[in-house]
Amino acid sequence: MAATAPSSAAIAIPGQLLGPASKFQPGPGTHIHESNLYSSLLGLVHVTQPVKAPGPVKRLNKITPAPAPAELPTISVSRSAVSDKRETLPEVGNTVLCRVIRITPRQAVVAILICGETVLDAEWQGLIRVQDVRATEKDRVKIYESFRPGDIVRAEVISLGDQANYYLSTSRNELGVIMATSEAGNTMFPVNWKEYRDPETGFSEPRKVAKPY
Amino acid sequence: MAATEQPIVLPGDAIDPSLIPTHKKQPLRLGPGLRHIPPSYIVPTVAGQLVTDQKKNSMWIEYNSTRYIPSANDLVIGQVQRSATDLYYVNLSPYTSNAMLPHLAFEGATKKTRPQLAAGALVYARVTLANRHMDAELECVSATTGKAEGLGPLVGGMAFDVSLGLARRLLMARSREAGGVEVLELLGAEGLAFETAVGRNGRVWVSSDSAKTIVLVGRALRETDEGDLGVEKQRKLVKKLIRGMR
Repeated sequence: MAATAPSSAAIAIPGQLLGPASKFQPGPGTHIHESNLYSSLLGLVHVTQPVKAPGPVKRLNKITPAPAPAELPTISVSRSAVSDKRETLPEVGNTVLCRVIRITPRQAVVAILICGETVLDAEWQGLIRVQDVRATEKDRVKIYESFRPGDIVRAEVISLGDQANYYLSTSRNELGVIMATSEAGNTMFPVNWKEYRDPETGFSEPRKVAKPY
Repeated sequence: MAATEQPIVLPGDAIDPSLIPTHKKQPLRLGPGLRHIPPSYIVPTVAGQLVTDQKKNSMWIEYNSTRYIPSANDLVIGQVQRSATDLYYVNLSPYTSNAMLPHLAFEGATKKTRPQLAAGALVYARVTLANRHMDAELECVSATTGKAEGLGPLVGGMAFDVSLGLARRLLMARSREAGGVEVLELLGAEGLAFETAVGRNGRVWVSSDSAKTIVLVGRALRETDEGDLGVEKQRKLVKKLIRGMR
């Protein structure tokens, strides 16, 4: 049954009533249904008091609006003890680091490893289509000269895609291959925007190279 | 053939340094079957005969196998498996993934006029893209001239399987001197009328008006291949087959 006064040690199950929306601000792990806050997850309930902004001195004849939403305490439910740790997922516009799994003439299949600065818990599959590899001369891109399996690529999420894949793009200068291994097995260093070179054998291999920061 | 000049090597064997050709100006070129590990180690990776060419300063290994690995600019005979929106899936060798042949990679093909190839049809094509990360891609038209130059669908006739070594020797420019295979010329000299196409993937297509000729040519190829016949024995084989036919 619903807890009347949620405390920081209380456990909430999905669907449990947490309080009215007029008293609390919804945080992560909660949702609003018919002006009530319900928990979405199984976890600990946290209430964070709002930062009190220094307001003007109250005047008796001034009409002040109802308390702004920022002044309500925020209630959130999280799985672990740390109240603000959530599973990060790639969003549209995020820069991600991924490893190339497979290439076909029309797309490169990648596994997204890092989103922003966070290492993801699970590897999500992404797709870099041939028209999203470069900004110029999109119809003459050859995937074999842009990526190879095993490369580490910095890309940007352009779409959440369908059930199987995110859609990524490397069409800016700063996006592209940041680490590559040569056919001989050595780590290569970049020469220009379309070449990596093996320091031991001296052979160059074509890639779409990311501009170093 | 002096045994020391063209030795048989096994993978991993050390190569006698006196066999490696030297040249004043050209760098040494390694062909198939040899691998260079810097700085100066050359090692064979297949079993076969080490061949060197002083004039071009190159060395490679002649070896025979049955498994074809596509490489760029090879002429191959493939069988169409099925047709997708704008390409054909063509099988080059059994139990491998299909190569892709775009619908527009034929002579004079536009979006409106495409060739109609049914599943099971044979095509003579050239490999454009082949690497170990992707499926091979083919074309039936020369990219530079835009003409077919003998490529395209093979109508009628029959395809026979041969080993890769025999296919390579048949495709050599001077197959009798360099490759030691003359059986097709001999059969033609005996009056048989047929046409052939040789694919590097170990397939030979033979077509003729008479089915007996096709079977005869196929049998000659198979016996040359299995018996590893030299030029003399090929002559005897051809005579025997012609006698049996008449």
